[in-house]
Amino acid sequence: MRQINCAATGLCSARVGTGLCPVQGGSQTRLICVTMAFVLIFSISCFAADAPQVQFDSSHIGPRQMEDITGRNIPRDWGRAWQTLALALEQNRPDLLGRYFTGFAQQKLAATIATQIKTGLRTRYIDHGHKLAAYFYSPDGGAIELHDTADLEIQVFDGNDLVHSDRVTLHYIGLMTPAADHWEVRLMESVPSF
Amino acid sequence: MRRILPAVCLAVCLMTAASLAAQDLQLPATIAAGSELTIPTSGSGAATFYLIGPSYLAKRQVQLGQEIHIQPREVRSAGRYTAVLRGGGSSQSGSFYVVAAKPASLSFLAHPSRIPVAQRDGVIGVAFVFDKWHNLVRRPETVDFRLAAKDAPPVAQSVRSRDGAAWILMTSAHKAGNAKFVAALDGIEETRVIQQVAADPCHLQIRAERNAKGVLVQTAPVRDCSGNPVSDGTVVTFTANGPQGLSTVDVPIKKDIAQAELQIPGPATISVASGVVMGNEVKVGGQQ
Repeated sequence: MRQINCAATGLCSARVGTGLCPVQGGSQTRLICVTMAFVLIFSISCFAADAPQVQFDSSHIGPRQMEDITGRNIPRDWGRAWQTLALALEQNRPDLLGRYFTGFAQQKLAATIATQIKTGLRTRYIDHGHKLAAYFYSPDGGAIELHDTADLEIQVFDGNDLVHSDRVTLHYIGLMTPAADHWEVRLMESVPSF
Repeated sequence: MRRILPAVCLAVCLMTAASLAAQDLQLPATIAAGSELTIPTSGSGAATFYLIGPSYLAKRQVQLGQEIHIQPREVRSAGRYTAVLRGGGSSQSGSFYVVAAKPASLSFLAHPSRIPVAQRDGVIGVAFVFDKWHNLVRRPETVDFRLAAKDAPPVAQSVRSRDGAAWILMTSAHKAGNAKFVAALDGIEETRVIQQVAADPCHLQIRAERNAKGVLVQTAPVRDCSGNPVSDGTVVTFTANGPQGLSTVDVPIKKDIAQAELQIPGPATISVASGVVMGNEVKVGGQQ
């Protein structure tokens, strides 16, 4: 069984079978297969399209005030970074990380993927949303520090065997820096509390 | 009694199994990055141990009843770690946090790289404190910022970091030249060079004299209000106003002065400006 989760987004979630559809079968089996294929296609398209929901608060930021456009781009890019993270870990694809991660954050996630490949373990993040607060915006506009309270379901697989599953609320410290047309995550660390 | 006994046994077995399944591993709440950790286990037989961290995952066979040793290299990255032990028909798990070790490096952002002299709060320094494994050191640390220009006493200020970040605004020196901008913490130093250049020209002065070709107009050495020579290439504008109309010439400063030859046959009033700064006016007579 493989779980396709697009709700990093909270929008949809479906279980689909692999190798369950026989070539020959009754109409009921064919119907199930068609339904499952539809759900799979819908789920994948859903995953590819949407980033998790991010509520953003910049009311306590300083010393620089946040520009309107930055206030829109930060939660957008933080959400896309989480979407990228989930996909890269799920599919063991470090090449996906470069768009929204840089520096130490990218290096550490790439190291995670490398050990996933080495050990045969795999991590899946089912993202139920983020409460993001910006509290430090450097005077030159070159860096933003963030507090993220993330509602996550984290599943660990050993091959296809689900080893551990946890629904947790985690606190993350984030550091983002501007790139050409978006913000990149330079640091993302979970912490016991803020 | 015979009817009740099997049900009681089953209930006890189920409760035992449930308690085993839900049992948590004995883990500390937090440890410093790069520390060694030992996890006690109970029972007997083989089991599989999993460690899932922010940049490291491990899987190995262990013996129940013996301690599990986590090596320092396995817990270098700060963040939440989950430990899972599966064996003997049960699964135990728990989580702990790895927090940054002592500061070992500073990520220092200095802005701008080139600034006019005497700019109040114009020099910006932001330092992020990291340990040797690039984890953000969140506990408050004192970061010393120092701006030192040549032939001038350094300006220094200490700032406590908050969530790994310390920042400062400093005023650039009155004298032009390269200044060393340093962020320091417990023997760790990061240096950036800030080029301090002359500010806008101050007290522009010109003189003009007629010659065979027209009027040669020349500035006195152009300096800012602190006496620093204004950079070569800074544009000075000469404007001549006379019966022939208005004519303007833009000239870059070269070796401290700007000069131009204006083709004006008749009398004129010549003025000078650079940026928002106006200089004196001189009047010249017509050609003989």
